[in-house]
Amino acid sequence: MQKIFNLACGSFYALGAYVGVSAVGWYVGAGGPPALFIVPLAVAGLAVGAVGVVVERGLLRFVYDRDETFQLLMTFAVVLMMEDAIRLTWGTAPRSTGGLYLAYGQVRILGATAPVYNLIVIAASLAIALAIGWLLTRTAFGRIIRATADNRDMAEALGVDMRRVYAKVFTLGTALGTLGGALVIPATAAMSEMGIELIVEAFAVVVIGGLGSMRGAFVGALAVGILRSIAISVYPELEMLLIYLIVIAVLVVRPRGLFGGAEA
Amino acid sequence: MTRFSQATPDPLRPRGPRDNDTSRRQFLKLLSAGAGAAAATRLDGPPAQAQATGPVKLGVLTIRAGIAAPVGAAGLRATEWWAERVNKAGGILGRPVQLVVEEESNPKDTVERYRKLVLQDQVEVVLGGISTGVTLALGPVAEDLGTPWLSWDGTTQKGVEETMPNPKWTFKSVDNEVEAIVAGILTPKYFKGIKTVAGIGNDYSYGHDCWESYQAVLKRYIPDVKFVLELFPKLGVTDFTSHIAAIQQSKADLLMCSFWSGDATIIMKQAAAVGLFKTMKGVFTTAGGVHDSLKKEFTPEGLLLGYNTMYFDDPKASPLLKQFVHEYKAKYNEYPPYECDHAFFDAESYKVAVEKAAGAGKKWPEKAQVVKALEGLEIESLSGRRSWREDHVQMCNFYQGITTHKNAYDFVTISPIEIVSTKQAMKPAGSKLFDWINGWKV
Repeated sequence: MQKIFNLACGSFYALGAYVGVSAVGWYVGAGGPPALFIVPLAVAGLAVGAVGVVVERGLLRFVYDRDETFQLLMTFAVVLMMEDAIRLTWGTAPRSTGGLYLAYGQVRILGATAPVYNLIVIAASLAIALAIGWLLTRTAFGRIIRATADNRDMAEALGVDMRRVYAKVFTLGTALGTLGGALVIPATAAMSEMGIELIVEAFAVVVIGGLGSMRGAFVGALAVGILRSIAISVYPELEMLLIYLIVIAVLVVRPRGLFGGAEA
Repeated sequence: MTRFSQATPDPLRPRGPRDNDTSRRQFLKLLSAGAGAAAATRLDGPPAQAQATGPVKLGVLTIRAGIAAPVGAAGLRATEWWAERVNKAGGILGRPVQLVVEEESNPKDTVERYRKLVLQDQVEVVLGGISTGVTLALGPVAEDLGTPWLSWDGTTQKGVEETMPNPKWTFKSVDNEVEAIVAGILTPKYFKGIKTVAGIGNDYSYGHDCWESYQAVLKRYIPDVKFVLELFPKLGVTDFTSHIAAIQQSKADLLMCSFWSGDATIIMKQAAAVGLFKTMKGVFTTAGGVHDSLKKEFTPEGLLLGYNTMYFDDPKASPLLKQFVHEYKAKYNEYPPYECDHAFFDAESYKVAVEKAAGAGKKWPEKAQVVKALEGLEIESLSGRRSWREDHVQMCNFYQGITTHKNAYDFVTISPIEIVSTKQAMKPAGSKLFDWINGWKV
């Protein structure tokens, strides 16, 4: 909507992961029951999304009307600064939540063992996707967002306060990133460079799905995830290649992505 | 060991604060000396005269950023511990030790910083270097600059073969693939009836070399063993769910994994989540590098786990190792990994070589004399006796064993402990790795 290409989304993801680890560490240290660790994890992940206001008001609003190159450079600078800030705060060693990942046990589905926590994360992702869909299509705020994305000048002429909308949307996006980082962390470990890893994959998802399309992002993410898994099972050498072959194919055949708008 | 080809492929990354501290300190020193003339004297004066008295400067190269930063931190901590200890005891030949720390990042920048250490800081020796991707580039530079360089963990190997068989100034780590060879030797001893093996390692030299070497060794002991799957995710991947699914699908009897950093912990956790090791044996050649993150909750007993050259919980540990582990824990609240031992050995062997070269006259020796004294030198390191082979390669013991929960920690340790010497598990100077393995009598 903001017509900005934000590389720092990866950093928000990493930040959410680290804050999530710390929150869970504090919670367990304070004697909280392990079964409820997902509560402080999610709350901390959402709360740290507030950093979005700072980045949007403090930096991004100055480059909205500039060339994309400026935006890329500035958000890349944010990526590097955040990575070092994380290193200063949490140190260089990977951080994890220990064995809490298995706190909810495992279930057998179709002959395979799956940790219950993964199912919770999948359910949470679906809920978030549905909630965002509802927000965009069923609420007044959602209509304003879509109107602004469609035609910013017209929306502004009709009395929409752009600054507030931008700050809100960007903070919401940031909070989704930090929450995502926090939710994924019990299954893995937080590392300061995890943000950059994510940006590359997110780029593939967005190109396949279509820039600026929520449905596209959803389908693109599913496609990338499933294709990678299939590639690893069938022919592991193809894992990364396959994704980028599809990215190239999409760029050549349908440059606006599977669900992208005509002008994206 | 080869770790990866580019530690931090990022020229924009700022250097560690220590570099700035050092140069600022030096700058202030120059200022306090009074005038430009004083500075000129200092910089232009012959190094031998300027340094025969006063502190002896030792350059240290260490990784500070990225996935190997914890490894770099461990090496630096051990070097600092050593320096403090040496200075308390009166320094080297009466001269206090001063460390000049620079960052190891990508090969190009690291070579620049190496030059700076030798030419500008005029250090007597350079210690450190972890990634073989970097140290492969440092070797020729060290030879050119004529100052001894003692690598912690990096070699000058290309793949599994040596590129600098007769160096003058370069002293290298043990060969990269030794721990995979040790694991290959121990696998048939602890896991009977293995017929099929799957492998996973990082997608760069170290991962591939370990897998190749492990297969070659295992084939010698179990000629009809089948290698049914090999996976090489790129360095930095934090989700191995699909890889683990593929490993499960392969129905191999055993999984060999050469991860050594945070990814070792992650794969262990994600494997436990689907109960992988309930049906499969596991060999983790190098995961001892992050041993205290392998929590009991998700790391099963009965895996073969490698600790490289130092095992912190060795019941036969020397008083030196016990003291080190105790003080390391007190200061950093962690238990030290093997990189400490490489770093301590380098620094301590340099000190012993200087003292040996100085002889009874106690005159500070030339650099070439120190190099001579290092060749074949055996000293007491944290892990016990370690030495420099005549062709400048480290000789030491490797510690591996079977994971157990029977300890006082919240992470796994090993019992029984197997100690295998590089005399048994490292190719002799001048030989080709696979010819040598295929020539074993087993």
